[in-house]
Amino acid sequence: MAASASVRGLGWRVLACSWELPCTWRALHTSAVCAKNRAARVRVAKGDKPVSYEEAHAPHHIAHRKGWLSLHTGNLDGEDHAAERTVEDVFLRKFMLGTFPGCLADQIVLKRRANQVDICALVLRQLPAHKFYFLVGYSETLLSHFYKCPVRLHLQTVPSKVVYKYI
Amino acid sequence: MAVAALQLRLILCPGARGLRSFSSAVRPAAGPRSWQQCGEPTAAGEGCKTSLEAVAIPSEVMVTLQKALPPRTEKMDVDQDWPSVYPVAAPFKPSAVPLPVRMGYPVKKGVPLAKEGNLELLKIPNFLHLTPVAIRRHCAALKDFCTEWPAALDSDEKCEKHFPIEIDTADYVSSGPSVRNPKSRVVTLRVKLSSLNLDNHAKKKLIKLVGERYCKNTEVLTITTDRCPLKRQNYDYALYLLTVLYHESWKTEEWEKNKTEEDMEEYVWENSSSENNALRTLLQMRAAESGVAPSRDELLGTREVEDYRKSVVQLKNEGENEANLTQYKESVKRLLNLA
Repeated sequence: MAASASVRGLGWRVLACSWELPCTWRALHTSAVCAKNRAARVRVAKGDKPVSYEEAHAPHHIAHRKGWLSLHTGNLDGEDHAAERTVEDVFLRKFMLGTFPGCLADQIVLKRRANQVDICALVLRQLPAHKFYFLVGYSETLLSHFYKCPVRLHLQTVPSKVVYKYI
Repeated sequence: MAVAALQLRLILCPGARGLRSFSSAVRPAAGPRSWQQCGEPTAAGEGCKTSLEAVAIPSEVMVTLQKALPPRTEKMDVDQDWPSVYPVAAPFKPSAVPLPVRMGYPVKKGVPLAKEGNLELLKIPNFLHLTPVAIRRHCAALKDFCTEWPAALDSDEKCEKHFPIEIDTADYVSSGPSVRNPKSRVVTLRVKLSSLNLDNHAKKKLIKLVGERYCKNTEVLTITTDRCPLKRQNYDYALYLLTVLYHESWKTEEWEKNKTEEDMEEYVWENSSSENNALRTLLQMRAAESGVAPSRDELLGTREVEDYRKSVVQLKNEGENEANLTQYKESVKRLLNLA
């Protein structure tokens, strides 16, 4: 409001200074700031958009209706190396997204037990089985060598994305 | 024909998009594969069966042929060996757990989601590998590596007598490639002073040297060391401290002769102002009564002075309570012949 008033005022001053053409001054329209939360939320559609349980719940439902996608001790009180685990998580998620293109039905669940990393993924049956086997072996070997820790992949196949509701 | 296949695929999988669905509609023309429903084709390859049949089938029908094998739960007996289904900690496998588990916040007038494809069940840690049967087997297997508790140490007093020093250390386990944790270098050494060979002077000197580390109620000296980077260095340092304290407390330095009344740990009646006052009063009293002044030693030997001494020491050391105060009153009355 104040911005538009000041611009309008400026516009009037400009107008007063140089009257050349009528009604060609451009005003900047502003409105009040609308700081909506947009994090991890799927916006409602007409009722035809299928969403999974994970997508349907916003971040404020974590620990109430949702669990955590990544479990490790780094975020506990007095424990170290939370940042390193988070960076590893980001890489692992991107890696899985790229290695199984179009096959992932939902977010990856990462579990850490001592130095072992368990990657649990829900996959669609897009690829034939032998290709899945190859990708699993390839990912496990590559990631184990990369992180110098045992990395195990656990896949669960579903015929299609599990729909929680339509929004 | 390809267009028909694409339309069919879009109807069946509304989430599938453009190019990817087209390519996967074309791919089944190579030959159908049959799937194990919700199977995990892990690299270990445990319990996964796939069968390949190369049959020429028109592509419109292709998409319906990706069928899955029935889940393992249908073939499980009621009295099967569960620890062989879940021998180690593993994520939740709905095809291997024969329970109709549901998890999730239900929609209005709905039920929680079923276990197939349920991410919430995957997220939580499960203890399916820790049934009582499995734990019993673990313990039976570990028993071969255990030794019996020595029969001679059957009471706390015996343990304390033979092992007076107790060491507390902590090890930390966390998720990640590193086993190092700086908190694990702390070493706490606990010993009861009665198990150390100390005389009166040595004990008082030791208590003064350690300060807060001594607990009067339990008579336990606690030494906590964390100044070295390694646990074994801190352990050596704690033992060194104990040795040094013990030897130092037995020595008597020159300057210890200057110990004043304020430095005393407990009230000592001999050579105190209370003793002087009492004896002076008594001497004056006796001198006034009978004209003969008895000596200090004689007075000290009398029973009234003894009682008075005891009650004053008790009051000063233990604090004031009903019993002490009445005892003091009685002793004063007897001392001054007022009773």
